[in-house]
Amino acid sequence: MTIGSTMTTAIGVACLAEILIGGLLLIRVGLGPTVCDRIVALNTMSTQITLAVLLFAAFADRSIYLDVALWLASFSYLATIVWSRYLERGLL
Amino acid sequence: MRLVFGLVLLAIGVSVSTSGAVGILRMPDVYLRIQSSSKTVTLGALPVLAALVVVEGPLTSYGGRALIVAVLLLVMNPLATHALARAAYSVGIPMWSGAVVDQAAARVPGQGGTGPGGTDSGGSGPAGGGGRGSGPGSEDRGR
Repeated sequence: MTIGSTMTTAIGVACLAEILIGGLLLIRVGLGPTVCDRIVALNTMSTQITLAVLLFAAFADRSIYLDVALWLASFSYLATIVWSRYLERGLL
Repeated sequence: MRLVFGLVLLAIGVSVSTSGAVGILRMPDVYLRIQSSSKTVTLGALPVLAALVVVEGPLTSYGGRALIVAVLLLVMNPLATHALARAAYSVGIPMWSGAVVDQAAARVPGQGGTGPGGTDSGGSGPAGGGGRGSGPGSEDRGR
């Protein structure tokens, strides 16, 4: 069953909104006073960009982008965990 | 019917994500920003993925991949948030000046002069776990 054109438009608008939210969070990445602020904003931003990639895959009907979204979702959290471990204990 | 459900879930997800981003921009403290960020994922990302599943069906490639991403976010987000908050606290980032209580100050020994002396052995035991045993030695070698 194919999705209607209304739903496709809504998915495209949601994709654009997620990208705008990512741009909003980029401000906090830029002017966050400590490193942890930047890490929090980057974590949230990567989640929103993952959603944007998923929504774009559904919008443009390209199933190749789904793997990009899966990769982003798994490795951004790994990056956050590695960063916090580095902040807490230093290298290694 | 599926279209209405999908539209409502998309609207909920996008609005909660927007409010979470505004919260990250406007909150005065790292810890409050961490709280806002975790709300963004739980109530902002999951409805969007649920909308994809509702619209496309759970067995198509889009819906299935959205389910996998949802499970991954649901498992990894509290883990990463907790690790980040612990790292921020142990680095010693100060709280907001309007903060009322700091309940972990008596339990975390790495906070330096903040905690009033006590719970040296009791504090470092549960905080360390397995990783702390080899942690300080390699850290001293690294520096």
